[in-house]
Amino acid sequence: MTNTSVSAQRTGLTRRQRNTLWTSLRMLINLPFVLLIMVPLLYTFMMSVLPADELYYRLWPSHFDFTSYLLVFTKTKIPRHILNSFIVAGSVTLLQMITCSMAAFSFSFLNFKGRNVVFMCILATMMVPWEATIISNYLTVAKWNWLDTYHVLILPYGCSAMGIFLMRQHYLTFAKELHEAARLDGCSNWRFLATIVVPLSRPALGALGAYIFLQQWNNYLWPLLVTSTDNVRTVQIGVASMYDIDSEQINLMMSAVIVCLVPSLSIFVFMQKNLINGLMAGAVKG
Amino acid sequence: MAEIRTSSPPARNLKRIVYERVEPWLFLLPALAVFSIFLFYPFFKTMYLSTFLTNKYGEAKAFVGFKNYADILVGGRSREFWNSMWVTIRFVFFVTIGGLSMGIITSMLIDKKFPGNAFASAIFAMPIAIASSAASMSFKMILHPSIGLLNKILGTQINWLNDIRYTFGVICCLAVWLATGINFIFISAGMRNIPEDLYESASIDGANAWQKFKSITIPCLSPTLFFQVIIDVINAFQTFNIVKILTLGGPMESTNTIVYSIYLDAFRNFRFGSAAARSIILFLIIMVITLIQFRAEKRSVHYS
Repeated sequence: MTNTSVSAQRTGLTRRQRNTLWTSLRMLINLPFVLLIMVPLLYTFMMSVLPADELYYRLWPSHFDFTSYLLVFTKTKIPRHILNSFIVAGSVTLLQMITCSMAAFSFSFLNFKGRNVVFMCILATMMVPWEATIISNYLTVAKWNWLDTYHVLILPYGCSAMGIFLMRQHYLTFAKELHEAARLDGCSNWRFLATIVVPLSRPALGALGAYIFLQQWNNYLWPLLVTSTDNVRTVQIGVASMYDIDSEQINLMMSAVIVCLVPSLSIFVFMQKNLINGLMAGAVKG
Repeated sequence: MAEIRTSSPPARNLKRIVYERVEPWLFLLPALAVFSIFLFYPFFKTMYLSTFLTNKYGEAKAFVGFKNYADILVGGRSREFWNSMWVTIRFVFFVTIGGLSMGIITSMLIDKKFPGNAFASAIFAMPIAIASSAASMSFKMILHPSIGLLNKILGTQINWLNDIRYTFGVICCLAVWLATGINFIFISAGMRNIPEDLYESASIDGANAWQKFKSITIPCLSPTLFFQVIIDVINAFQTFNIVKILTLGGPMESTNTIVYSIYLDAFRNFRFGSAAARSIILFLIIMVITLIQFRAEKRSVHYS
């Protein structure tokens, strides 16, 4: 049985010195891991601003050349793809906030026969992999002539088990008396949801919204399958189809990657706390 | 309530009772509509299709029972299927282990306060915001044989994405990189919930860092880790984008995961029936694994 004073004696350092040592050591060990995550992005940025004649042998540009960004916005279809992504991700986010709030309200505030069974059925869908539905969904929307439209990108994502679950977890923290009091005052459930529950759950809704927006912004396979024209194609498909290895194209492609990362990274930076807390609320209490 | 109010006419009363019965379902209506049309219906349709021969428009043409399954499991395409199975299992194994390790290491790194702590946490969590398709495009350049960053650093000329010795490994690394964010978020939150006095009393008893990690951190973290393993396994099983963008299943099918083979079957070769059968097999595998994990949880997870 040793104790701390022994090790302090052995190293001959005061407690304070040891703390400083540990802090610097901690920073030092963090560095390679921070770099590991950051380097791919930094490299992508560098490749987007390297002058074309330095591409093949330099990593740090002699001067920053932003012309490829200008080209991304003037010579490619990326601006249109970005607009499409905003339309689709925005609509899905709005739609899911509405449908998930409503469903979660029903599951947490109202009593009805079969409530638990239906809720379990919805939760169970989280286990169904997308491959199990995507083939049939594709065949269905193709038969309905929905290909190459906005609604084919939006409606299949109109609700999610994850969203219902997160909102329900949040609503369960509300006092039951609040609902009862409102009902006694003659407030309908619809008004109660719209004027009391929703304003009170803004942080949870914000987290859900950010989560859904990110997911949609980054969605790849479904848009790839159901769109074939630039009018409705989303930005991930647009960027992924730019691969080409001549030097001008490398600048362009890497600029496009950066451009399509900007919205999702901004949301992450601004919503980080909220987003993480929201996700945790679902996981920990679940 | 409604019965007590004698003043209101009975017809209105009845209407109100009926409405109160129906109302919960009205709130559920939009959700149930989406789930029915785009989840339950297609799921059963996939099962149905998996027992049929289909034409290239995906219409069921002839009922063949379990022939699609037999073809995949033991028949003409079994070699390719079992290969994709083996690739997927190894992929899931390495990515889950890698993702968990990255999650645990990064969480421990920021566990104690230091200057730059918040910045490091933000960076470790960041991959959750990054699209796997965009990341794949960056990695395509990093791994490029003649001008890529990795070869420049190592001074080599390796064709990472088309060399059977390396491709599987680099795909796993990219998947781990992408999984770091979500692993970090959940595991670091789990670590913050471990009471500090447990560590203090262990220090007083003279436990070293490894003993503390083994006997306090891991047991207290086991519910989080268990949850995270399920998430990681399911995510790894469904990885598609990076394979589609970087390797197309090659070289020599060494990265042809089961998900990618489903995509090829359905949307390149238009064998929808066979692809549906593969999807159902994948669904069953994921379900069995999840159930086994829940079983195992009861035995090994420690809840304080």
